Amino acid sequence: MPSAAGPVNILRGIDLEIGAGEVVGIVGPSGSGKTSLLMVLAGLESASSGSVWLDGREVTALNEDALARLRRTTVGIVFQAFHLIPPMTALENVAVPLELAGVADAMERAREALGAVGLGHRLTHLPGQLSGGEQQRVALARAFAPRPRLLLADEPTGNLDQATGDAEMELLFRLRAETGTTLVLVTHDEHLAARCGRRVHLADGRVTHVEHSIVEVA
Amino acid sequence: MLVLRLARRELRGGVRGLTIVLLCLALGVAAIAAVGTLRAATDRALAADGRRILGGDVEIDTGTQPAPDTLRAWLDARGARLSAIVQMRSMLIAASGQRQLVELKAVDPAWPLVGEAQVQPPQALASALGEREGNYGLLAERVVLDRLGVHSGDIVRLGDARFEVRGELVVEPDRVAAPLILGPRVVITTAALPSTGLIVPGSMVRYALRAALPQPAGGARVIAALREAFPDTGWRIRDPHDAAPGVTRFIDQTSLFMTLVGLTSLLVGGIGVANGTRAWLDARAQTIATLRCLGASTRLIFALCMVQVMALSVCGVLIGLVVGTLLPVALDGWLRTVLPVPPVLGVYPLPLALAACFGLLTALVFSLAPLGRAARIPGAALFRDAVVPVRARLPRGVLVAIAGLAACLIGLTVVSANDRMFALWFCAGAVATLVLFRLGGWFVMVAARAGHRLGMPAGRLGLANLHRPGSATPMMLVSLGLGLSTLAAVALIEGNVRREILEQMPANAPSFFFVDIQDPQLARFESLVRAQPGVQDWHEVPSLRARIVAVNGVPADRVQATPGTRWALRGDRGLTYAATPPPGTHIVAGSWWPADYAGPPLVSFDANLAHGWGVGLGDTIRVNVLGRDIDLRIASLRDIAWQSLSLNFAMIASPGLLAHAPHTHIATVRVAEAQQGGLLRRVTDTLPNVTGIRVEDVLVAVAALLDQAAAALTATGSVTLLAGVLVLVGAVAAGQRTRIREAVILKTLGATRRQIRAAWLVEFGALGLAAGLIAALVGTLASFGVVRYIMHTDWVFLPGTLAVVLAASLAMMLGFGYAGTAAALRAKAAPMLRNE
Repeated sequence: MPSAAGPVNILRGIDLEIGAGEVVGIVGPSGSGKTSLLMVLAGLESASSGSVWLDGREVTALNEDALARLRRTTVGIVFQAFHLIPPMTALENVAVPLELAGVADAMERAREALGAVGLGHRLTHLPGQLSGGEQQRVALARAFAPRPRLLLADEPTGNLDQATGDAEMELLFRLRAETGTTLVLVTHDEHLAARCGRRVHLADGRVTHVEHSIVEVA
Repeated sequence: MLVLRLARRELRGGVRGLTIVLLCLALGVAAIAAVGTLRAATDRALAADGRRILGGDVEIDTGTQPAPDTLRAWLDARGARLSAIVQMRSMLIAASGQRQLVELKAVDPAWPLVGEAQVQPPQALASALGEREGNYGLLAERVVLDRLGVHSGDIVRLGDARFEVRGELVVEPDRVAAPLILGPRVVITTAALPSTGLIVPGSMVRYALRAALPQPAGGARVIAALREAFPDTGWRIRDPHDAAPGVTRFIDQTSLFMTLVGLTSLLVGGIGVANGTRAWLDARAQTIATLRCLGASTRLIFALCMVQVMALSVCGVLIGLVVGTLLPVALDGWLRTVLPVPPVLGVYPLPLALAACFGLLTALVFSLAPLGRAARIPGAALFRDAVVPVRARLPRGVLVAIAGLAACLIGLTVVSANDRMFALWFCAGAVATLVLFRLGGWFVMVAARAGHRLGMPAGRLGLANLHRPGSATPMMLVSLGLGLSTLAAVALIEGNVRREILEQMPANAPSFFFVDIQDPQLARFESLVRAQPGVQDWHEVPSLRARIVAVNGVPADRVQATPGTRWALRGDRGLTYAATPPPGTHIVAGSWWPADYAGPPLVSFDANLAHGWGVGLGDTIRVNVLGRDIDLRIASLRDIAWQSLSLNFAMIASPGLLAHAPHTHIATVRVAEAQQGGLLRRVTDTLPNVTGIRVEDVLVAVAALLDQAAAALTATGSVTLLAGVLVLVGAVAAGQRTRIREAVILKTLGATRRQIRAAWLVEFGALGLAAGLIAALVGTLASFGVVRYIMHTDWVFLPGTLAVVLAASLAMMLGFGYAGTAAALRAKAAPMLRNE
């Protein structure tokens, strides 16, 4: 990454392959490069060297707009801070990626997606009028609505209390199981990481070790 | 004091959020202070030079008759030094045949009583004007010499007499620089006047007698005594305080217009104040909530915030005052060329105090509401996610204070204006405009809410931004809109006046007015015109000069006339007579007299003047024609289309009595362009005392004058637009963080840059369209009011001008939108998405 004091290498020599439908947890201490890895996977940050391939396409070779088009259909992202668009209702927020992709029945699908996360009665509420858990559920609906092949989640429970966080993650894993989407989950919640089939440990920008669960939790 | 101590501590943290408040006030106050200072500087110049401009301590304008000897004797008896002057228009003809319409002034050896005339080459006036080798001398302004191509020593002709050009008149002390509509100045001696043959009964000539008193301070007493000694003469008697009434009126009106435009920019500034204060307080919400938790009362919070806002406001006002004082100094060189007198620049406390009051009142009126709301922020806000702005109700006390201060602002505007009715209308208009823009904002939000359900995905975000809770839509609309409205109104008024004067010229408008054709010359004139090829049409009417003495027995100076018709009671009016109604006469009341009518004099009067003077059919107007009072009974009222440029007279009398009075004739001639020079030469060579006025020359002069006035108003109007832009920049900058955030989220969700750009262009385009449409509406209404009710002419709709306003509005808004978007699109996504 470029910085005022010259480029800083946050990720170094990462060599990682994730299969379709896999659930991978990225764990590690603060500053280990977890979020950077996620950003690079999403094409939101560019790597200074090396390449990222997604669904047969080299992400690192695409320009900004091509990346945007790729994300529309292929990548869903869930943030810790939800990042909903404040002036839009829950329904509109969920419909945005569908509309951007030119889906004809965007509103209908957005409504279904909100129904699936249990917010069928909150369609016209603005983000500011929803609780934190509800906002994260809108964000989940938004991420799943375009049926992406890859879902990236960055500390999705970080802004929620324990009980709400658990409930939202139940929902996340259920939706993932229903859609078969590949999930990459950044977390430092051991309990949450334990639910991932593979856990990639990062430290100081490098993969230190990889663990495989005996049982992949659905 | 605790409040001040806390305020000082807080202000240490910087005032960045409040800079916009400071700038907005500085701009508005600077505009008002500059106009006020300039006005005071011009007034002082007129006052200081009143005696010089008047040409003495008293001037008695005796109209078309020379001052009687009794008047001279009366003034002599009081030890006054006297100077008589005669003024008229005439044609000055060079040996080459070149001719020029000039304002002729014949002066006696005592001229000028005050000040000194400057002549180039330098010489004594007596020798410059006196007789030498059979020719009297003549001095002329540079422009006359240039246009005729004559130099000192050349011989020129005025009427029947030959004059020798003796030099250039560089400074004429008793002249206020006025636009050259009817010709530049030429000076000769009164001794030479008879030989010109220009003065015949009925000539358009003006006599004035000036007196320099032994004790100039006693002028008022002398004038009072003079009025008593010579009652009912109809003379216009003036003292140095009233040396240039036309100029004073012009300055009054111009400064009123410019002050009002300045106030409009202050109004826009006020919106910037409200907005800046609100944004600043929003950023301070946490501090305020913390202070509340620590036990601060609403009162303390209110005082604390108010002290800070007012500190910045006072700075803004002071900067405005300094700029307003310095601006006229910076523009001095240019102002000298456009103002009738060189302004006496300096620091004028009164206009500055007034501008400061306007500025501070505006700051208070517009900042109290956000301050009142902020004071109500509860301590609990700290523990809540305050995403949705709390619509705290304003305390009653604050509401009352805002209403009271707004009333003070309106009161000050009205009281400080010289035309209070107009100022009151302006205030009503301003309030109505604010309401209109607020309604417009509401409408845009409702429409956006309805429209975004069916909109394109790109458009949805743009429309959503327009109607989101706490959106800046109404504020952005009004801040751009007020400036645009002002400019639209100025452009429409100018367009209407221009069209009225220049473009609306009827196809049959005359090319020439010929005046002072004497009765015996009429047949000769007629044969000349008939013999001239290219003449398409010509008309002639008898012309007399009449002074209104009384209306229904009330002396002219005491008639209660409307401001728009008072002019007609002053000075000489044209009067004609006719047995049958002239072609195109439109009688609206009463009837024309029989063709063979021979009874007591009747008059057909201008319906508009009749309305303004409050007279009607059967009423009597007493006029003085060639020293004789005649009572004219109103037999009919006519609607007169002055702009047709045909021969119109406010008063057309029945023949009889007037036909026997000595008089001249006026003729209009329409002649092909190529033949105009030939006709003018032939007429003025054959009939040397006749003056020909080319309509086109006059129109060109009027157009130039109009350009100047329009430029001044547009410049002032631009200040309003500038204020609006300032507010808009503030609003766009305030929303920039949100904009960047949204751009990043959208990119994450798969939006291309093009889609994001399109979304914001929808938002700003909708705003620009709405602002432009409302501004066009307001500009149209304001120009209608001014053109119809102040200028009393016909108003027409000018779609082209409005289209320009609309296009400008769209272009400006889209420009802002584009600039904001470009910056937001450059922002990197990752830093914003990382967990804060």
